[in-house]
Amino acid sequence: MKTIAVGSEAVVYENNGLIIKRRVKKGYRIREIDSNLRRKRSRAEFRTIKELYEKGISVPRPVKYAEKTEEIWMEKIEGERLAERFTEEDAKQIGIMIADLHNNGIIHGDLTTANIIKKGKKLYIIDFGLSYHSTKDEDMASDLFLFKNALKSKHNPLYNGAYPLFIRAYKSHIRKEFKGIDTHLKDIETRRRYNESY
Amino acid sequence: MYTLGIESTAHTFGVGITENDRVIANERDTLKPLSGGIIPREAAAHHFRLAAEILGKALNKGGLRLKDIDLFAFSQGPGIIPSLKVGASLSSFLSKKYGKKLIGVNHCVAHLEIARLYTGLRDPIMLYVSGGNTQIITYYNKNYIVFGETQDIGIGNLLDKTGRRMGIPFPAGPEIEKLAEKGKHYIEMPYSIKGMDVSFSGIETFVSKIIGRETKEDIAFSLQETVFSMLIEASERTMAYCLKNSLVITGGVAANKRLNEMGRKMCSERAAEFKEIPMEFAGDNGAMIAYTGYLMRDYNQKDLDIKPKFRTDTVEINYR
Ligand SMILES: Nc1ncnc2c1ncn2[C@@H]1O[C@H](COP(=O)(O)OP(=O)(O)OP(=O)(O)O)[C@@H](O)[C@H]1O
Ligand SMILES: [Mg+2]
Repeated sequence: MKTIAVGSEAVVYENNGLIIKRRVKKGYRIREIDSNLRRKRSRAEFRTIKELYEKGISVPRPVKYAEKTEEIWMEKIEGERLAERFTEEDAKQIGIMIADLHNNGIIHGDLTTANIIKKGKKLYIIDFGLSYHSTKDEDMASDLFLFKNALKSKHNPLYNGAYPLFIRAYKSHIRKEFKGIDTHLKDIETRRRYNESY
Repeated sequence: MYTLGIESTAHTFGVGITENDRVIANERDTLKPLSGGIIPREAAAHHFRLAAEILGKALNKGGLRLKDIDLFAFSQGPGIIPSLKVGASLSSFLSKKYGKKLIGVNHCVAHLEIARLYTGLRDPIMLYVSGGNTQIITYYNKNYIVFGETQDIGIGNLLDKTGRRMGIPFPAGPEIEKLAEKGKHYIEMPYSIKGMDVSFSGIETFVSKIIGRETKEDIAFSLQETVFSMLIEASERTMAYCLKNSLVITGGVAANKRLNEMGRKMCSERAAEFKEIPMEFAGDNGAMIAYTGYLMRDYNQKDLDIKPKFRTDTVEINYR
């Protein structure tokens, strides 16, 4: 078994072409918080990947969830973290993928370019530990906000070109009135920008 | 080169002096209202009343007179308007009177610069936690970028509001910390993290409902454990995302020992560096404004008005 990544939460191993993801104990958190979070997130992650994969959305193929060790087994995507490979043309594909997620009632909860893998030109979404079911406008807006902020912060030079492409693709694929979502998006931004900052 | 910096964004009025990049004076006074948060006009009145005295103390400490100062700096924002005006008008007056340049400094950038100076960390992630501020900031593409932030209230406000509901006078942070040390039983609370952002309003409501039903000690303990875990988790996520390897915690809430312990533990588990900065430079202070003003000494700023909503990521950083 080879360790292929140590993220902020999990250690990711490779075994015979499969990925094994295990959330590691965080010594800074008390046991009650830590074990509860890890269990909840790993279960949610596996459940979501399974659901999305069955609906044909671009996520790794789920293999199994090992309840005892709280490990997620899934297909390995032979690609690279989008964070280091992001280009403007990826934005459109991401917009469509997120709309697909939302059309299926799933909110990702942690949308950044670190949680997308690029293989050739194709993108895969991973890391569903903070995902949940919702069809509420404000929850969809929360995902859009996270991704927008990820672009603005980490990919600032590309932001002006990429964001409109992303949002346009999302808008044309989301099976819901976009206006309602957009109102919440603006609201999150205002709140975040104008929380009493001193 | 002597730089004199004035901090007056909120309830602290501070004057610091640097000789080049070395702090030689750091004097301040903080208004402590008897109840509730800051009342803007009271804070300004406090600053106005004590300005001359604190300025005098700082000059004395440095063995300097006003005419020896080569550069003046003031905190331009973000902050509350009446407070900001005191520092802005005093520094503008001094700069005109002595014919020296005036630099407007972003308060959050100043926190980060003084943290770098005193920890020696070259490129840390900074968790900035104070009354109204809860941000995770780091240097990226020539800017200080806010990667994570509270989507509603600041951590200090959460502690103060909760404290007030439990009958603890403002500021409640230190008393909550003491109570928390005696807490034994963890009460599960809403843990709300969104990417690298956090949100505290859910937990605020939750806690307001259990006051009186659970012991103060257990509430304080559970509240701290929950919100600090969220903050440290968001910081760790930012480190992983930006591929950075060190953390510093600053702002008034950085005085909390448990928060620092958690930061240190998180870093040691991911082989990253964690450094504490002296509390004198973690809370609001004039030295950080002087020091950052010194770093910015070659800037040509056209706009020296106060900026109550000054965003960290709009400051161009060209001295790094
Ligand atoms: N199915 C997969 N195929 C290939 N690589 C994967 C797969 N799943 C995860 N990885 C790799 O492991 C890394 C971490 O995975 P993941 O994002 O799920 O964990 P994490 O601990 O939450 O990480 P982070 O905190 O960085 O978001 C990914 O960036 C990716 O490089
Ligand atoms: Mg991830």
